[in-house]
Amino acid sequence: MSITLDQITKRYQNTPVVNDVSLDVGDGEFFVLLGASGSGKSTLLRAIAGLTGVDHGRISLHGRDVTHISPRKREVGLVFQNYALFKHMSVADNIEFALRVRRVKAAERRARRKELLRLVALEGMDDRLPTQLSGGQQQRVAVARALAHKPQVLLMDEPFGALDAKIREELRRTIREVQRELRISTILVTHDQEEAFALADRIGVMNLGRLLEVGRPEELYARPATRFVATFLGAANLLLGRQTADGIRVGTTPVTAPINSMWDQRTMQREHEVVAVLRPEEVALAPTRDELATLYLGTGVVESTMFTGAYERLRVRMTEAGTIASGDGEQANDKHHLATLDVTRSQHDQRLLPLTPGQSVAVGVRRIHVLPTPLSSYVVYGKTDAQVESLQTHPFLVELANRMKTRVTTQLEPQLGSRSRALPGQGPLAGVAVIHTSNHTAAELEWLLRHGASEVLLLPAGNVQPRRVLIHWTGETVRHATLAVAASMLRHVAAEATYLNIIPSQSETQKAEGMRELLDARSTAQTTHGLEMRTELRFGEVAGELSRQLQSSNEQMLILGITDMDDIQDRFAAIFKHPHCPVLLVFREQHRD
Amino acid sequence: MTVSTERSVLPGFGLTVGYTTFFLSAVVLLPLSAMIIKASSISHGAFIKLLLDPEVVASYKISFGTSFLAAVINSIFGFAIAWTLTRYDFAGRKFLDALIDLPFALPTAVSGIALTAVFAPHGWLGLQLASIGIKVVYTWIGITVALTLIGMPFVVRAVQPALAEVQRDIEDAAETLGAGRFTIFRRIIFPTILPSLLTGFAMAFARGIGEYGSVVFISGNLPMQTEITPLLIVKRLEEYKYVDAAALGCIMLGMSFVLLLSINLLQAWSRRRLFVGRRS
Repeated sequence: MSITLDQITKRYQNTPVVNDVSLDVGDGEFFVLLGASGSGKSTLLRAIAGLTGVDHGRISLHGRDVTHISPRKREVGLVFQNYALFKHMSVADNIEFALRVRRVKAAERRARRKELLRLVALEGMDDRLPTQLSGGQQQRVAVARALAHKPQVLLMDEPFGALDAKIREELRRTIREVQRELRISTILVTHDQEEAFALADRIGVMNLGRLLEVGRPEELYARPATRFVATFLGAANLLLGRQTADGIRVGTTPVTAPINSMWDQRTMQREHEVVAVLRPEEVALAPTRDELATLYLGTGVVESTMFTGAYERLRVRMTEAGTIASGDGEQANDKHHLATLDVTRSQHDQRLLPLTPGQSVAVGVRRIHVLPTPLSSYVVYGKTDAQVESLQTHPFLVELANRMKTRVTTQLEPQLGSRSRALPGQGPLAGVAVIHTSNHTAAELEWLLRHGASEVLLLPAGNVQPRRVLIHWTGETVRHATLAVAASMLRHVAAEATYLNIIPSQSETQKAEGMRELLDARSTAQTTHGLEMRTELRFGEVAGELSRQLQSSNEQMLILGITDMDDIQDRFAAIFKHPHCPVLLVFREQHRD
Repeated sequence: MTVSTERSVLPGFGLTVGYTTFFLSAVVLLPLSAMIIKASSISHGAFIKLLLDPEVVASYKISFGTSFLAAVINSIFGFAIAWTLTRYDFAGRKFLDALIDLPFALPTAVSGIALTAVFAPHGWLGLQLASIGIKVVYTWIGITVALTLIGMPFVVRAVQPALAEVQRDIEDAAETLGAGRFTIFRRIIFPTILPSLLTGFAMAFARGIGEYGSVVFISGNLPMQTEITPLLIVKRLEEYKYVDAAALGCIMLGMSFVLLLSINLLQAWSRRRLFVGRRS
């Protein structure tokens, strides 16, 4: 491995901007870090170059630990968005700078310079000053300069950001060729997904300081694991569907989709809500249902059409009430939760079926992908209208739903918290149940779990900004589910994750067992759920230790997995009584057989 | 002369040039011409004699020498101050920044009196310096100190914007290429701000040559030793030798002009190296 990052964390004013990032980049690999501005991708690149220190973690280049080595001695080449050329020096002097610093002989310098200028297609420009060159040429000089001292890795920070489209494409090709020819391990940072697709051997997508997913471009596009990657890499319609015993349904339509979530086999057998990704190009339109050659999704009305050259882009509003629930936050206020689908069609399809706004069409699906995320949507519960309303506008919940692009629905439940038995035959609750914390939290929790909720979010009044998320579970049954929920939650909250394992005593055998569990948990989180987390071993009684940890700061959140409903009253009553931090409870019942 | 036909926010070219010429004439050119006319009433031989008068020659040496020295000192320390103000954020930075301009606003006589008080043989600093055998007041050192105080803001204000413009990216780039701090300063930062530093130097130098008020108190005005040219001119005026005074002024004017012109050319040359091709 030529670039290895191990749990890199960088904080500014206590907020992690780079959050537990681990990554391996292979020899000669072209790796693209993709993310919106503020996602932490540039900070990570600067950390690799040594221009920014890290608060935690290790960086090694070609097996050499460089975490505490100055940028001068890291042997990296860095290319900046604004070229950062030395304006008072000629092209030749710019390129030879690194060699001059290393006291390389003039003849050798000259030969290297000629070779580099040929590589970036700027032969004969030696004596020009940077100000006499175009933007594209300046960036070529910057690339040549960064390669002069034969660095072990090449780092590029939005190198095409300041260039216009035509030149961008030309330079992109040059950089790809240079990288191939030199076989130098490269990390390029960009916010442009097209650029990422064009250049990358592998792409890593960052958001809120976390590296969400890493994979080959076509893999990430076809089978994203997270909402963010699904919507950031290309366009996507997010739909809420149901996982039932005989497959996945979107609306009333059974959609045979491959189930690629392995994290919770038991959950897959239970009926529950799922988030499905429908790419605009995978939507088929036909005049009637019978003429659809694909699975039927429902009927809709064309809202708008837009000609974009090779493709036509349409928006189609689904008309059958209750058939398709949108997973898209934009439509969260629509009282029927009817989805509006983005559709793209080829020229060929356009000729077969010309469409104008207002026309009614049958909508079909060619391929649908189900995200392995356990957090699909939020349902706010309350005994009174006022309760429901105040909770629905809770800043933390609103922000969370926005980031997850999901909806928040409300459910008025006067019986909430009462001792009434669950009605027989009532199906499981969809989505994450949300309640306010109060004196009756424990009773309300029990009521929700008895009525089929598997995830409940407890929110204290007022705004909360968790910077640290504590993760704990009480039994093996709920371990995977808790990790999956934590992974999903942490993609949308800029907080550091810590798994707490709490063991009763400090005896040597228990300690060893505890440590083994920590390592186990970390590797499962990493490999199965794509979650990087810290681990801590604590001693003492579980509930007491957890509340002690929660007391230490207000900027925390607890994700707690339990397997026994009675634990709420018997063991964790203290935690649920008046938590000042949000608590996300994950419940999977232990089978007693 | 080419007339620009491009539209601009200010009224037409003719009007602008007219106003410029008028004000420049009334405020600068006319008084200077009057001085030259006055001076030309003196005969050739007398002019040369005046020029080579030992007292006059000594005053030129002192005036230009101390001004040059003060400008050099200002270039070094002014740069350091500008660097501190642009690169670091510390408590009281804004306050210090405002303090820099004070010598602009202070009546020069006040600065002169203040300096004399501090550097006089019984003043705070004067006492310390006297104990190691350095006499400031009534020597060329005192004049240099006064001119340094007066010229400081010119260098700081000239260099500050240029330093702020040196992008951190450029230093970062140099560092990843393997350059140490000293190399980055010498090869990257210094050449970039050199034109601005020269501007600051030229302005501080020019100000030093013309300075009168702050110097008279600290210099003691000893003929041949601490008598600066502006003072000599005043002295001639007091003796009612108007023509002599005008002639001295002319010579000073000529020398200053040549010096400033050459510094400006030097500066233009280094700036062209940096920004050539901007207008294409």
